Amino acid sequence: MTRDVFVFVECKDSVPRKASLELLSVGRRVASQFSSGLFAVVVGSGVKDAAEMVSGYADTTVLVDDESLADYGWDTYGSVLEGILKKYEPMLLLGTSSMTGKDLFPRIAVRLQAAMISDAVGLDLEGEGIKIKKPLFGGKVISWLAPKADSMVIVTFRPNSFTVGNAGDKGRIVQEQFTAEANPGIKRVSFEKTGSKKVDLQEADFIICGGRGMKAAEHFVMLDEIADLMGGRTGASRTVVDSKWREYDDQIGKSGKTVSPKLYIGCGLSGALHHIMGMDTSRVIVAINKDPNAPIFQYADYGIVDDLFAVLPALKDELKKTREDT
Amino acid sequence: MKVLVFIKEVADTEARIIISSDQKDLEIENKYTVNFFDEFAVEEAIRIKESLKDVEITVCTFAPPRAVEALRTTIAMGADRAFLIDSRNHESDDPLIVSRILAGFAGKEGFDLILCGRQAMDDESANVGPMIAEFLKIPHVNQVTRLQVSGTGTAEVQSEIEGGKKVSEISLPALLTTQKGLNEPRVPLITGVMKAMKTEIAVLDPVAIEIPFGSIDRETSKIAVLSYELPAKRPSVSIIEGASPEEKATGLVRALKEEAKVL
Ligand SMILES: Cc1cc2nc3c(=O)[nH]c(=O)nc-3n(C[C@H](O)[C@H](O)[C@H](O)COP(=O)(O)OP(=O)(O)OC[C@H]3O[C@@H](n4cnc5c(N)ncnc54)[C@H](O)[C@@H]3O)c2cc1C
Repeated sequence: MTRDVFVFVECKDSVPRKASLELLSVGRRVASQFSSGLFAVVVGSGVKDAAEMVSGYADTTVLVDDESLADYGWDTYGSVLEGILKKYEPMLLLGTSSMTGKDLFPRIAVRLQAAMISDAVGLDLEGEGIKIKKPLFGGKVISWLAPKADSMVIVTFRPNSFTVGNAGDKGRIVQEQFTAEANPGIKRVSFEKTGSKKVDLQEADFIICGGRGMKAAEHFVMLDEIADLMGGRTGASRTVVDSKWREYDDQIGKSGKTVSPKLYIGCGLSGALHHIMGMDTSRVIVAINKDPNAPIFQYADYGIVDDLFAVLPALKDELKKTREDT
Repeated sequence: MKVLVFIKEVADTEARIIISSDQKDLEIENKYTVNFFDEFAVEEAIRIKESLKDVEITVCTFAPPRAVEALRTTIAMGADRAFLIDSRNHESDDPLIVSRILAGFAGKEGFDLILCGRQAMDDESANVGPMIAEFLKIPHVNQVTRLQVSGTGTAEVQSEIEGGKKVSEISLPALLTTQKGLNEPRVPLITGVMKAMKTEIAVLDPVAIEIPFGSIDRETSKIAVLSYELPAKRPSVSIIEGASPEEKATGLVRALKEEAKVL
């Protein structure tokens, strides 16, 4: 085993995801500490440009670009990633706890008998090892874990756990050939693209989230306009999703998605624990609610006590002004 | 057809959790429930049984004996048999060990289909499903939102993946993890509850299962828990005052820009 640090880069429409660049930035910190190499792994079809892009963050970018990898599958991507890891024998593999990460890494961990820690939010260096920060019970408790160093370690992190550093000089790109082995037990019948939303909810820096107080599906246009203006996303409470005002893809909370944007604005939601558990790692939380006793104010940094239908148009205008100023 | 459902009992959202003074242990108030996503797995198994003939549903958990209650809930819903694999002398912080044990049980018990929730609500790790599938060398599909099992050893599965919804045809045996949207879990009827109270739930010692997938000894755990702590608390909320909604909006944006520096 080497002391090298690998980052599995996820791409969306052949562009590296922000979450993967975050991992390359924290990976750099680890590699410097251990005086080892930082490697980016880019796997897919038509991903040469993506490899070019991430090469500014890594010493070496390992690229597997093959038509058979056009559609993601744990079987095909897994066999390629396994091949890479067995050849290069890194000490640490970092990935995102995305849908893909949750599908792919557990199988890889078994194949390589690797220590697996998933859905983490932080990493500390401690002497000869690393310490991983992982929330439990919806964030009620923070645990610190240490992988034992006798095998490879795989850690997946939530998006927005780290900030993206600056790219440096371009490292080298090594193109590898590994056969994508499809599992004969699974046949892809069809694929339907859903939610052509530009920004992934978990990767968004800005989220404006609506609750039951939004009163009807059509009022979410107000939130969508603000989200678009800020390059972010609209979220929803479970009540809203259950009322079919928004898709489940938008749901934030314990039975939905866990988000940690830079700025989260909750509008007309009460702040039930199930919802809070999905957003209280956000950097700054704003609550807009007409009830001064709504629990959401216990979790917020800033609050406006007023009718959201009066506040939102004004808020949009103010945000527009700041966007135009910069 | 044999359907195996793996469930986890998790602390209820409202349960109080106390960190010990040496920060090494957690004391969890005795309020537990069946993991939210596992209920979809149990419900789906029952629906398969209702639509096909000769289906047997076995539910299993690796947990301390207290989780017998969660197993009873699944029997009350309509599962046929339940087993508790006693976790008290074993490591449950390393997903590799947990998966070895559950895969070992599956291998011994035999199955055509394994269902489990897409992740546990307490640690949100989402490892055990795909890991069991890998140990058993069977295919898996994560985050299943629609399932149609044919009588001929295949199933059509709709699942959520990055960017959309995929429909796949899989051959059994296979493992599926269940996502919200798959079904509406039923509330047990009183007759089910009565039956569950009378059902004998076997408690197994993992060592007796003779697991062929590697060691399950605590010493082989690859994860060490260093400490627990409370999350950093936010300072109390600053309410933006103003004579009108417009003034409040202006004040908020100013604070976000100048104080919080997030705009
Ligand atoms: C197992 C389980 C899992 C769950 N998972 C989730 C989850 O993942 N995500 C989630 O969100 N919830 C989840 N819930 C539900 C959660 O407990 C709450 O029921 C839900 O979050 C409440 O949604 P809400 O805040 O939109 O609505 P409400 O609680 O009804 O709050 C509406 C708020 O809007 C305010 N309001 C109304 N009109 C206006 C107005 N004109 N201007 C300003 N404010 C206004 C009201 O004062 C009120 O505070 C879960 C529940 C369970 C049991």
